[in-house]
Amino acid sequence: MAEKKISPKTLKKSFLNWFFWNGCSQQAESMLGMAFGQSMAPVIDELYDTKEEKAAALNRHITLFNTESQVGSICNGITCALEESLANGQCTPEVIESVKVALIGPTSAIGDSLWVATIIPILLTICLSIAEANPSTAWIGAVIYLIAYPIGTCILSWNLFRLGYRSGLEGLQNLMASGKLDKLTDALTLVGLIVTGALTASFVSASLPIQITKEVADYTGAEVVYNTVVLFNADNMLNSIFPKILPLGLTLLVYYLYSKKKWSPMKLMGLIAVLAAILTAIGKVSGVY
Amino acid sequence: MSTIQIVLVALFVYLGSIGSVVGNTIGWYALGRPLVASFVVGVITGDLQDAMVVGIPLQIMYMGSVTPGGAVAWDLSYATYIGTAGAIMFGKGAGASELIGYAVLFAGIGGFVGQLMWNLSYALNLPLNRLAKKYADAGDTKHMYVPNVVGGQIIGFACRFIPAVIVLSALNLGSAQADFANMIPGWLTQFLSVFGGMMAALGMGIILSFLVKKGWHYAVFLAGFILVTYFNLSTMAVAVIATIVGVVFYAAETKEA
Repeated sequence: MAEKKISPKTLKKSFLNWFFWNGCSQQAESMLGMAFGQSMAPVIDELYDTKEEKAAALNRHITLFNTESQVGSICNGITCALEESLANGQCTPEVIESVKVALIGPTSAIGDSLWVATIIPILLTICLSIAEANPSTAWIGAVIYLIAYPIGTCILSWNLFRLGYRSGLEGLQNLMASGKLDKLTDALTLVGLIVTGALTASFVSASLPIQITKEVADYTGAEVVYNTVVLFNADNMLNSIFPKILPLGLTLLVYYLYSKKKWSPMKLMGLIAVLAAILTAIGKVSGVY
Repeated sequence: MSTIQIVLVALFVYLGSIGSVVGNTIGWYALGRPLVASFVVGVITGDLQDAMVVGIPLQIMYMGSVTPGGAVAWDLSYATYIGTAGAIMFGKGAGASELIGYAVLFAGIGGFVGQLMWNLSYALNLPLNRLAKKYADAGDTKHMYVPNVVGGQIIGFACRFIPAVIVLSALNLGSAQADFANMIPGWLTQFLSVFGGMMAALGMGIILSFLVKKGWHYAVFLAGFILVTYFNLSTMAVAVIATIVGVVFYAAETKEA
């Protein structure tokens, strides 16, 4: 019997099923299981002949599976390679099942921390700085993101899928052990930090609206004019110490509460609402607003 | 907004939500981002400039809302499409800070509705597992898309599109009441504008928690900050400097190894 091999066309089909429809039927029971099953369906159709074999293989892949799906396409590639060995009698269903379970953790971790929490915000901050440069051409930043992100991610996802298929588990281990990924992340982190600093300075606003004014009579003209002179302005004083110290402080406070004290975004939003209400009230009373 | 505009915005609310038919990469992670969502609403309503005025702060505010999948804390797609559309409907002729205030308010309402709908679709998708099992048992490789795409998307579409049409229509009716904008008291608009400006700290603070891994990273963040405050550079100029720093750092690091 000739050795079975998945055709490139079927691999592409499997990848596209995953790329477009990985989140279609997400729920608490099998998470992305049904989507994974659909991704494997063309592969199973090609590798197995009898109805019983196909049924057993499909049942293997509609069970619980979850990952960050964009980077996680490497799991689909690895599973394709394993199904191929199984069809050739070089693997067992138990191995496939345990490898799939083992893949959930590391691929979710890399996907969420590197791609979702680092690449997306960095790309967004860069596009935001393009958008912010000129109000009349702000849309360009949005268009660049809309084009660059899906295309870049699709290329990455497809290459990870092929890497998974070609080199199996070893491919994932090599990728993680080479250290190149870490250095790239480090460099991108610096870019992200600098741009985040700039965006904080440009967009976060917070002020202490306290001022003391005095009416000063001006006798120089023909008529006596009363001018309001600002004797003390809390915001100007603070900014003369360090420009935009309040926005910076507020941002660092949010950072501290979120990462060290584990406050939820909803709780933080509540805190900001309370602070904003207090500051608005102070502003009303002291006559700044 | 005309009926067609409402339908189009609602359609994008669905497309930008998690697990829509165009995939999470094009949907949730691209169409669902506030920067892109406000652009889309701007194109649909023909008021691109106002849309981007609220889109940029919304994006900054929600920069931290990147958590995917089951851990969704806030439905970004709902929040930003409704927020931008609401700001455009109610804020005709209003200044930038008022527009942003409205957008923050309506994004909150939208995000709340979206969160309910996400939980609903998450529950309604459960029986699809039985259907998938049926096809799998039959070894029917040709129809595995039925439970996943067809089933999942009928539920997904119903849970996103229909409520979005209802919310948008309600906002549209509200904004048509002649002096609704004047009914909002001055102190509330003032509060919303203060709140909007401070909310940007939420997005930036959460992003910092993803990025800061070592002590000296605070200094790098501060460098970006003072390039704007002391040197008056635009954020674009800072982005260019940041990219150069990143490239040099990567080159130096890989050479050592």
